[in-house]
Amino acid sequence: MSFKPAPLIDDEFVGQPPTKRSLAHLLTKREQKRNIAGVYCTYAPVELFHAMGIVPATLCSFANGPIELAETVLPANLCPLVKSSYGFIIGDTCPFFGVSDAVVAETTCDGKKKMFELITEHKPLFVMDLPQIPDSPEALDNWTRSIHKLAAFFQKQFGTTVDDERLEAAIKDSNRKTRMLQQVFDYAALRPSVVGWNELYDILFLAQVTTGAELAPTVTRALAELERRKEAGYSRGRADAPRVMVTGCPIAGDAAKVFKLIEEAGGVVVALDECLGMKLYMDEVEEGTGDPWRAIAAKYLKIPCSCMTPNDIRVDKMDAIIQRFKPDAVVDVILHACHAYNVESHKIELHVQEKHGLPFTKIVTDYSDNDAGQIRTRMEALIETC
Amino acid sequence: MRQAGIDIGSRAIKLVVRDRGVVVHRTVADTGSDPLAVCRRLLDATAFDTITATGYGRHLFQEHWPEASVISEIKAVAIGAVAAIPQCRTVIDIGGQDSKAIALDGNGRVKKFAMNDRCAAGTGQFLEMMATSLAYTREEFITAATQAEEGRKLSSLCSVFAQTEVVSLIARGTSKETIALGVHQAIASRTLALTRGVPVTPSVVFTGGAAHNSCLVTLIEDAVKHPLHVPDSPQTVAALGCALFRGNPEETGHTPERKVT
Repeated sequence: MSFKPAPLIDDEFVGQPPTKRSLAHLLTKREQKRNIAGVYCTYAPVELFHAMGIVPATLCSFANGPIELAETVLPANLCPLVKSSYGFIIGDTCPFFGVSDAVVAETTCDGKKKMFELITEHKPLFVMDLPQIPDSPEALDNWTRSIHKLAAFFQKQFGTTVDDERLEAAIKDSNRKTRMLQQVFDYAALRPSVVGWNELYDILFLAQVTTGAELAPTVTRALAELERRKEAGYSRGRADAPRVMVTGCPIAGDAAKVFKLIEEAGGVVVALDECLGMKLYMDEVEEGTGDPWRAIAAKYLKIPCSCMTPNDIRVDKMDAIIQRFKPDAVVDVILHACHAYNVESHKIELHVQEKHGLPFTKIVTDYSDNDAGQIRTRMEALIETC
Repeated sequence: MRQAGIDIGSRAIKLVVRDRGVVVHRTVADTGSDPLAVCRRLLDATAFDTITATGYGRHLFQEHWPEASVISEIKAVAIGAVAAIPQCRTVIDIGGQDSKAIALDGNGRVKKFAMNDRCAAGTGQFLEMMATSLAYTREEFITAATQAEEGRKLSSLCSVFAQTEVVSLIARGTSKETIALGVHQAIASRTLALTRGVPVTPSVVFTGGAAHNSCLVTLIEDAVKHPLHVPDSPQTVAALGCALFRGNPEETGHTPERKVT
């Protein structure tokens, strides 16, 4: 076969971590005197950021390096994402934090909430009160109110304002981004898949910091390359490689070892049901409702984080993902000491096995590489059973 | 045609060679700190035409013996257990740093498996550490556990916490036999929890180095409520599975040369 796939984003960042490209974008915005607000979580309503001219920056939380420093203050038996985030801040090693004028956080898990209390001295911080019983009638009211409060915080920090019209325009732009990314995901749903998890991450990381309009030219070119691959009969990995859906905690940086080990074991990752993957782009915000604040709130409350109870929406969405991406196996990745995802894993296992008859494996891991051997054994055995 | 199977485990390296359907060679050696040297020594002592490797050192082994096929321990144990005990439908394997429960279909194919988390809680290494804490040899440890009238089950299987607990139990005057039995009981409970992850169907075969431990065999039998079949050489079952493996290495999914683009 003489076909050679070209990079989906053919720029000077080819082969580098996707964060480099996002950072370059932010630095350009910085030069243009734009305000930047750091975010830690998918629940941050980025439509509001864009409507107020604020650029969102996903803050560093996926490297093992800063954990040692973090553990001088935080307990060792804590989620690596929380420890890494904190280590980056106190060591002043996160350039995304450096360029941020303020930080937006959410009351998702206990570890994060208490860690946020320790970083208030570094940057202006706004903690959004995230309702955790999404089906209760007041959840939507309360979350809508939180988004209004965030707007007030931004106004106070940056002096910018927002009205319904601009918010509605930001919703349209955000939905455009979602639809574009969905078109990219379609190429992972192909059998065989013609796109790799790392290539999806290249685009998804750029999507974190850009508007739909800014991202569009990149996605257009990527889609052309993906179509070229499809027509050439290209496949990511072997054409008959078992297809793997990854679900669970957010995965990137040093935790992405799990993706690599799945591929080295002969599988191909086709569905990324986690917060750095496809999760944020599974729903659009309803347009033209007359209350764009509430429409945004409704979309974010549909994100199936394990901090929600009950989190039935996760299995409902999983059914749709399984139907679309047709995985042969499911891997639930739990970050060490993430009790919510770890406990929920039992429900997910039963659902995946009983409803879909798919092999399932839970991996509990952190950002170190000392369990690569154990994960490799489990992934090879899982792929063998497909 | 001599087929060799080698299982490079965390604590021991096991080699089995078959010739025309019969096992003609079987050796077990401590892994130590230079597993490749041990492999070389074991392989120099016998002849073989093909070789398949498993265990934690399998990929390292393949780097030095490129002709070797590689399969996961789960597959190797499954093949070996069915060869040793044909009516086997469930395997419980407790090795040096992993424990696993494997459910097989009627054709010996792996239907489902469950493994311990990353830490060595409930594995052979844990047993060894606890024996050392009690200043017992392996044999003395098993005898002491068997002779105990009652066990004082450990509340933690974390090796570090368990060691602290053993020290404090000794300080409180608890007999060493009681503690020894408690350690075994803790492992049996852990094994029961592991088997809940797979359907347990008789016959249940117990393999791995820990299957040499008669006290553990009895306790796990009581816990899972099935008789355990222990093959003649339980520690070499995965190596036997490798020696029986006939597949194309591709079908195991392992493709070491493939570069991820």
